[in-house]
Amino acid sequence: MSEQPFKVSIPDSELDFLRKKLELTRFPDELDEAGWDYGVPLTDVKRLVARWKDGFDWRANEAAINALPQFTRDIEVDGHGKLNIHYVHSKSEAQNAIPLLYVHGWPGHFLEATKLLPLLTSADSDSPVFHVVVPSLPGYGFSETTKKKGFAASQYAEVSHKLMLSLGYTEYVTVGGDWGYWITRRIQHLYPDHAKAWHTTYPRGNAPQLTSNPIIWLRHLLTPYTQRDREGLKRSSDFVEKGRGYNHIQSTKPQTLGYSLADSPAGLLAWIYEKLVLWTDNYPWSDDEVLTWVSIYWFSRAGPAASIRIYYEITAAKDQLDTPGAKLSNPFGVSFFPKELFAPPISWAHTRGNLVFKSVHDRGGHFSAYEVPELLASDVRRFFGKGGPAFGVVHGKDGSPSN
Amino acid sequence: MAEKSFTLQVPDSELEYLKKKLELTRFPDELEGAGWEYGAPLVDIKRLVTRWKDGFNWRASEDHINSFPQFTRDIELEGHGTLNIHYIHKRSELGDNAIPLLFVHGWPGHFMEVSKILPLLTAVSPDQPSFHVVALSLPGYGFSDAARLPGFSSAEKFAEVGHKLMLALGYKEYVTQAGDWGYTITRKMQVMYGGTHVKAWHTNFSPLDPPQITKQPWHYLKWLVTPLTERDRAGFARTRWFRTEGYGYFLEQSTQPQTLGYSVADSPVGLLAWIYEKLVVWTDDYPWTDDEVLEWVSIYWFSKAGPAASLRIYYDASKAGELGNNVPRTNVPYGLSYFPKEIIYAPKAWARMIGNVVLEVDHNAGGHFAAHEQPELLAGDVKKMFGVGGPAYGVVPGKNGYAIGE
Repeated sequence: MSEQPFKVSIPDSELDFLRKKLELTRFPDELDEAGWDYGVPLTDVKRLVARWKDGFDWRANEAAINALPQFTRDIEVDGHGKLNIHYVHSKSEAQNAIPLLYVHGWPGHFLEATKLLPLLTSADSDSPVFHVVVPSLPGYGFSETTKKKGFAASQYAEVSHKLMLSLGYTEYVTVGGDWGYWITRRIQHLYPDHAKAWHTTYPRGNAPQLTSNPIIWLRHLLTPYTQRDREGLKRSSDFVEKGRGYNHIQSTKPQTLGYSLADSPAGLLAWIYEKLVLWTDNYPWSDDEVLTWVSIYWFSRAGPAASIRIYYEITAAKDQLDTPGAKLSNPFGVSFFPKELFAPPISWAHTRGNLVFKSVHDRGGHFSAYEVPELLASDVRRFFGKGGPAFGVVHGKDGSPSN
Repeated sequence: MAEKSFTLQVPDSELEYLKKKLELTRFPDELEGAGWEYGAPLVDIKRLVTRWKDGFNWRASEDHINSFPQFTRDIELEGHGTLNIHYIHKRSELGDNAIPLLFVHGWPGHFMEVSKILPLLTAVSPDQPSFHVVALSLPGYGFSDAARLPGFSSAEKFAEVGHKLMLALGYKEYVTQAGDWGYTITRKMQVMYGGTHVKAWHTNFSPLDPPQITKQPWHYLKWLVTPLTERDRAGFARTRWFRTEGYGYFLEQSTQPQTLGYSVADSPVGLLAWIYEKLVVWTDDYPWTDDEVLEWVSIYWFSKAGPAASLRIYYDASKAGELGNNVPRTNVPYGLSYFPKEIIYAPKAWARMIGNVVLEVDHNAGGHFAAHEQPELLAGDVKKMFGVGGPAYGVVPGKNGYAIGE
């Protein structure tokens, strides 16, 4: 099906069903003085569930979401048939705005880019402007999911790329973090003549190796770690030690976990809320913000269990995601936020691509587009704007606002 | 509170509530041809939920459970206060000469794992030793209270509870049998109370790490030059499978048990899938009936502390460093049964590193839930260990398991 305008419209029956479920919630016990040590505190979950049941106005939030220009269209993915993809397509008024694809991750979704849209589609005289496309990845938001095994990085890349082509954007740039990083990286492997430059907030990478990055390795050897580097390495290792339970279960037994996430709103809420808090830089979540976020998962077209399969598929594909030797030559930009999950030394990002833009911040975490949109937008503008290292990468669309 | 007789009787309101929940179940989707690759299959879970909702007779299960003599009593846990502990206690008709034995379950096990071996162990005959069997519900499991303070769901604390229970029952000297967390707990018990109280221990689980050159240099060198047997190879392959594909539950439960707890406390189908997956993939083609599975999972659903409490041992025990080879070697006689589909394999040499091994028996069938899957084999090993001519015969002074004069 070609492009159809889309409005989120959750049936009343779904709202009633959710309410019935919430009314029947049974809470676990909790240790005295547990705090956050064992996981999400009971007071938070009880309060959020109570609000979700009575007080949270889904229809009002739905209306706010529907102020975004949303669409759906069918995209054919090799081996998986046609998938109906939901996306936001926010166009600038400028003719030669730069087409920009934003790819979310887990537990993110299309709404996490909302705050970036006004900042990227319009600007003061000197900053570039963009046409921004934010798809719901298959299995997330209001996109269909595949029925077949093996929908891995290349397939996510394919569906995102084909979406851009179908919108008439034969050349474009990308911004992505979390799974968005891996997917936009795969886009660089597969479609480098189309995705002309890429930017990430999640520069996953290993230490430079003598064999693959000898110069960087040498430089790394000779340069002492900064305080920031040290803190970042500690944060990364803490994450590996204490924060990766979800990653492992989702990468190995997503179906087993899926029964809980599909059946228990409180369970789904806790599972996601833990990340919204632990992965951000003291972002002052309001209860309604959290509930809107989690409701997107609860009301998602494919159901919440579908969203976690990406972990299994990309791990199972042993997709060689970390390809230090791969020569990705398009301009690559990185924004470093201090509370990102993995915070390796900045120098390591050179092993990930042709790093021509770096921006280091002192606040912000894993959901930077949502937490500190003005910082991320500013980086994107500088990367692609006049005088920036990726200026003019898209033929005929340099983003100058006048025209 | 002194010992009280216990009869399991889940209130009608709880049965109705469960039915309401089951009726409102929302299932996830599933990929075509997924089989068991992604986790418990949808067809199994749907069938089990349907049965649980209509057909499964919990009251009949209760009668079955209540055919075992159960009790509760308060046990004082140092630094914590009392915990009301639920347990099966079946004395042998042999009387005072029977060997007191404590059976300790793990996760996702429970006190009823003892049900098939109990009659085999308490039987009286000139040909076998007889036992008094005590099978507790660990704190946070079955119908025991859960520990309320951080750090008190560790193997050490549970060891204290198990030991004090035996003392309270008048069993100053006793032996133990265990697997899963019961292994870790009884291993602690024989360190803390061995010789004086714990006279011997038997396990069907041996989750050890290889010897390290720095810590056990002699064993390390020996291990280097020991050729692998077929059993070693198969065991290591299964261990590798467990630690790569089967380890997610462990990592989540040992880091964020509360976060997971919201799901397993609120969703019967979520709890069912979480446990059922282990019941199948950890056993050796055990032919579970649906009602067997549902009775098993219902014990978790109806547990006194709720299902989430059972997860905390992973967090507390990991944090306390109680896993792996981290244990001083004692002289307490140690017997092991090796079942081929156990989830972690360690060659016999490694167990001999950490304990005074007096019995080793290899089997060709059985997995992680040996007491439930292969009760005859497991009970047979225990009888062999403690019977006449066995390596731990008469370890409990005055209680050799036989009638006087035999």
